[in-house]
Amino acid sequence: MNSFADRFSTTGTAAELRRIKEYVAEDEEVADSMWGSEAGFGAMAHGAPNFMVPDVPDPAAFLRLHTDDHADPSCRIKIKHGTTTLAFRYKGGVVVAVDSRATAGSYVASGTVKKVIEINPYLLGTMAGGAADCQYWETYLGMQCRLHELRNRERISVAAASKYLSNLVYGYKGMGLSMGTMICGWDKTGPAIFYVDSDGTRLKGDLFSVGSGSTFAYGVLDQGYHWDLTDDEALELGRRSIYAAGHRDAFSGNTINLYHVQQQGWKFIGNYDVSEMHYNGPTGTQGYGYSIRTEGRSSANPPA
Amino acid sequence: MPDGSFERPQQRQFNPYSENGGTILAIAGADFSVIAGDTRQSEGYSIQTRYAPKVFRLTERAVLAVNGFAADGNMFVKKVKQRLEWYRHAHAKDMPLRAIARLIQTMLYAQRFFPYYVYNILGGIEEDGTGAVYSFDPVGSYEREACRAAGAAQSLVQPFLDNQIYFKNQTPAPGTNHPTHLPLPDVLSIVIDSFTSATERHIEVGDGLEIYVVLAKGRSTQELASIGGLQELTTRAEGDRMFVVRRDLKKD
Amino acid sequence: MATASVFCSPGFDFSHEIRNNFLQERGVPLPKATSTGTTIVGCLFKDGIVLGADTRATEGPIVADKNCEKIHYITDSIRCCGAGTAADTEFTTAMISSNMELHALSTGRKPRVVTAMTMLKQYLFRYQGNVGAALVLGGVDATGPHLFTIHPHGSTDKLPYVTMGSGSLAAMAVFEAGWRPNMERADALALVTAAVSAGIFNDLGSGSNVDACVITASHTEMLRNYVRPNERVQKERSYGFRRGTTAWKKEDIRNMVVNEDITFTGAEAMDTS
Repeated sequence: MNSFADRFSTTGTAAELRRIKEYVAEDEEVADSMWGSEAGFGAMAHGAPNFMVPDVPDPAAFLRLHTDDHADPSCRIKIKHGTTTLAFRYKGGVVVAVDSRATAGSYVASGTVKKVIEINPYLLGTMAGGAADCQYWETYLGMQCRLHELRNRERISVAAASKYLSNLVYGYKGMGLSMGTMICGWDKTGPAIFYVDSDGTRLKGDLFSVGSGSTFAYGVLDQGYHWDLTDDEALELGRRSIYAAGHRDAFSGNTINLYHVQQQGWKFIGNYDVSEMHYNGPTGTQGYGYSIRTEGRSSANPPA
Repeated sequence: MPDGSFERPQQRQFNPYSENGGTILAIAGADFSVIAGDTRQSEGYSIQTRYAPKVFRLTERAVLAVNGFAADGNMFVKKVKQRLEWYRHAHAKDMPLRAIARLIQTMLYAQRFFPYYVYNILGGIEEDGTGAVYSFDPVGSYEREACRAAGAAQSLVQPFLDNQIYFKNQTPAPGTNHPTHLPLPDVLSIVIDSFTSATERHIEVGDGLEIYVVLAKGRSTQELASIGGLQELTTRAEGDRMFVVRRDLKKD
Repeated sequence: MATASVFCSPGFDFSHEIRNNFLQERGVPLPKATSTGTTIVGCLFKDGIVLGADTRATEGPIVADKNCEKIHYITDSIRCCGAGTAADTEFTTAMISSNMELHALSTGRKPRVVTAMTMLKQYLFRYQGNVGAALVLGGVDATGPHLFTIHPHGSTDKLPYVTMGSGSLAAMAVFEAGWRPNMERADALALVTAAVSAGIFNDLGSGSNVDACVITASHTEMLRNYVRPNERVQKERSYGFRRGTTAWKKEDIRNMVVNEDITFTGAEAMDTS
């Protein structure tokens, strides 16, 4: 029998044997795929990845004890947290805007995080919660989306992609994954946004904001949003909303990343420094900060 | 109780982690990369050893610095080196830097529910000849950066790098711009000063300093001529060149 | 003003301690005190006492002071090294120092080391270990040289060579190897220096320089920074900033000089007698 087909079959005795071998897992995670390229399939050769789990009665409790969730910043293993992300659907497509700050307790671990994950040229995912969880699983989702294209000769719908992710993380429910993501894209049905989180929630909607600064972003977003926004207005609303969160939320800030999704796929619009937005604004002429609105109105703020 | 049993239920916790101090740091230049770490390994108030390398050569053009729990770190480096060797046998070439970065992500994430307690910084030269630094969290989230400090004194060193490398809070002189990449001698000075300063003010940093320098193929090595304690690690005649600089740090 | 009549139970009031423990349980962190995670030592020699200390003060893993003074003055011929909470050691020794001076004035005699030791242990015992002072007390009085350790709970030891603080094991190893009865002054000083150095280099809580103090019946010599084995190294670069590096939003220059015009009106000078 063809050994190649044999190796990648999912039924039959060979597959059964393989599954048993995997189950027994003699030598940890040393799979055949690690030796070489596996005909270009790499880590995909054996399907969904396996995870090493500590040999304790309650692995989830073990993980909780040693990694910090937001409530307990004193733990040893810091997982990056704190975020503002938003996405909304309008006449001209989808606007996705995020901040770039990662915090570990009160420490700003990074100010240059890419919180928009480019799954493929038509799909974007946002990152909130555990940085590694979002990065890893959305990259993995990208691989599955490509396989879908190869199998079905058409692009995967946003609904299907988001459902794939939702089902995937639901399988790990209670194990300690932490992600709040928006899968944004354009498919046959037009622009679409799905909110997916690690609890298993999956919601279709026009407008979402996720993360510790989401309340601030919603404040600006809700009052400025309507369906018939022009492209420029929509991008400005996204940018202004993230600025508001960066300004008021200690766990968000540094810079804003702005994306626009249209029929031909997503486009990166730009990276904007939050304090630059505060003082000078996107065009360098008028900042978002309120000094501009108070100048000359009282003796404390005399005219320039 | 006399028979060896307990009156009340006893709680035991599985705690396989420890913290071994030390600090690592990496800075990427236009066509070079500098990766450094101190060599002290400590636990609590005791020094376990004054020479425990935290920076490791992976390939001709990739260096990995590992900090956190030393046992996890050493095991992790061992496994990364093993995977890179397998790659060499399968493909007859070294794995490119960005691929090593992704490999490290998947290896760390494979332990998502039993994490390696290590902070990794990968430095080296990309396939396009540019200097690169990738930094990782313990469960594998990573990003490419120009500079990064991690470990015990990261909160002392990173703000200094932000100011000196990214020129944060520094307005350029009128009519000028900050340089995007610093020259190698400046970078080496900043690295050395970072570690001597961290040694002054952090009790877990000291004893020795190892600085790995990776230069892109064809780059002049003249700037390194005046550096004391330099040793070349390059094994292939043509290609990227690798050096290590060893310095003493205060031992108190 | 009349104060509200509140029941005051006799004895000591530990309600603050109970409150603090409660707050800590609820996850409110207490402010971190500067601790002198320290090596302090003392030893007897032929003519008196040699005390030694390192000079590092830490706040957790951060060095708060690279050259602090841990050998405190009690009287001219009695000194006390402090380990533990920096504020507690400093204030306890200062308070005992003034009480010793008052005691000397009222008795008209030079006070004894045991007096200081008793005052310290009674004070520390009253606070049940909540005053975190671990002390090495040494001096020479009418009855000869004396060396004590005093623990935060108030217990004391009288020994010919003692060490305390986080570097005490490293230092004691040196003492155990090298101490002999009736040593010469130079040998004793060298031994104390070696003991403190062992702490400085092998204990992370101790560092920087060696302070020493030699007390004899006739004379007390405080050897501040007796050995400095950890000088700060020269930086590779200078980090001066160009004028105008810091951005500013607005500039406002004010004249702080008040000018007054004095006009003489021709009146007679004021009578200031």
